[in-house]
Amino acid sequence: MILKLSNINKSFGSTIVLEDINITSEKKECLAIIGPNGAGKSTLFKVISGIIKQDNGYVEFNSKSVNALNVEERARLGISQSFQKNSLFLEMTVKESLMIACSHKYKVSFNFIKPLYKNNFISEDAIKIAKDIGLQNYLDIKSEFLSYGLQRQLELGIAIACNPRLLLLDEPTAGMSPAETKDIINLIKKLSKEYSIIIVEHDMEVIYNLADKIYVLDRGKLIFEGSPNAVKNSELVQKVYLGI
Amino acid sequence: MRAVNYNPKLRLQVMVILVLLSIIFNIFGGYFTRFFIAEITILSIFAISLDFIASRGGMVSLGHAMFLGIGAYATAVLSTNYGIPPFYSMFFSIIIGLFIALIIGYFIVLLDGIFFIMVTLALGEMFHAWVFTSELLGGSDGITGILRPDLSSFYIDLNQPLIFSFYTIFWLVIVYLLISKVTDAPLGRNLDAIRQNSDRASAIGAYKKTYKAIAFSISAGIASLAGSLYVQLNGFISPELTHWTVSGEGLIMIIVGGIGSISGAILGASVVHIIQHELSNIINWWMLVIGFGFILVVLFMQDGLWGLIERIKKKCSS
Repeated sequence: MILKLSNINKSFGSTIVLEDINITSEKKECLAIIGPNGAGKSTLFKVISGIIKQDNGYVEFNSKSVNALNVEERARLGISQSFQKNSLFLEMTVKESLMIACSHKYKVSFNFIKPLYKNNFISEDAIKIAKDIGLQNYLDIKSEFLSYGLQRQLELGIAIACNPRLLLLDEPTAGMSPAETKDIINLIKKLSKEYSIIIVEHDMEVIYNLADKIYVLDRGKLIFEGSPNAVKNSELVQKVYLGI
Repeated sequence: MRAVNYNPKLRLQVMVILVLLSIIFNIFGGYFTRFFIAEITILSIFAISLDFIASRGGMVSLGHAMFLGIGAYATAVLSTNYGIPPFYSMFFSIIIGLFIALIIGYFIVLLDGIFFIMVTLALGEMFHAWVFTSELLGGSDGITGILRPDLSSFYIDLNQPLIFSFYTIFWLVIVYLLISKVTDAPLGRNLDAIRQNSDRASAIGAYKKTYKAIAFSISAGIASLAGSLYVQLNGFISPELTHWTVSGEGLIMIIVGGIGSISGAILGASVVHIIQHELSNIINWWMLVIGFGFILVVLFMQDGLWGLIERIKKKCSS
């Protein structure tokens, strides 16, 4: 078991956002959390990554409690995330962004003598990751000049460059054209062979192709869990999504 | 800040030209030129230290003159009151500056923008007020009669203006090499990443507070070196050196030179100091001119003289 959430509750003021959430995720499993807008998906995502603290309940990672750890510390344990809105190092090139993420993987981030760009193994690794995410032709372009779709790919690349044991993806296809969405889905499919992944998404079509297991969230509660097929055929889920 | 520069290649080229120029002027100049070059070099060291934390760390400090003061006063007190040779006092004062900054930095480096500015301003003013009343530090009179280091065992006589300005240039080169190393190394690039996107830096597991505290400390150590060289040059120190306007002038220098470029800081320090000096000889409303020039730079040339050089070079090569 790589991640276990037990009895997570979270409310903002009098609004209950998450209510008694229990989720477990196995190694190398691709798990999806879906739900309509406002279901509490992003809050749940932030609870896992440590950006938001839950009111009560436990988050366990690799059978150890990470309740007391902040984002940075959880990232060092191997919980890596990509953001819903592109969050990049805009003044840096693609290669440099990836190398900076890699510098943590190789634990050289405190080195203050040897230039980063002269670290050959990091640079090779960054190029390899750029190939994986399909950005090998854009290595020396500054992130701010990339198109939205390419930025989205880089967003994923930075997340995998930290050598994650668990990859959290918050709506990886948000705002993308159908063609770009297809690329990203193929990319995530490839990644799911290597990494444990949790995807938060509101577009069900994206998920059906990817997930091993799906949790459906509605108004802060888990209302259904099961395989993609089970979710597809569930009347309850259709009711929530279509509002029938 | 969009105006932060990063260009290691051009940085070295500009640095080499500046050092060559200073050497030439130093050799062929008279007594006054040599003194003036030493002054500019010391200001440049201070500007580099400020440039490093303001650009890479995103920490704009209005209290950096405090570290200039710590370096200067530590050298003065250690050498006059405790009889420690000035050369060693200099090293001690750098270490003192480093440690004080490490302790202060631990508490303040994570503050954002305006809060960091205000806290450093407050700390700087507190230090200034303390220096002004402290008996040990000579109060408003300051300390006089500080000797230059005795390097006669290396056959170097620092009391000669020519030698002394070479000595300051030597330190400038060392500081430049150190800061460029740190800037290009993973530590410096990670600092840059934090400035550009702090949330993302957390998400990749950066040790934000530690990097920033280290950067703050390195910068303070260099400012202390500048302070120490300042007393060696002048032989006296007064509390005015620790006033916040000195930090403000430092910021003007790095903005004119081009933030983040390191050699641009030297360029900025030289240009501002030369203009200050020349203008104040001719007119007594020279501050107005400098202020106006500064506003023009901020409005139309945020990457400073450095940006100008970059653009000219691009045009020439294309």
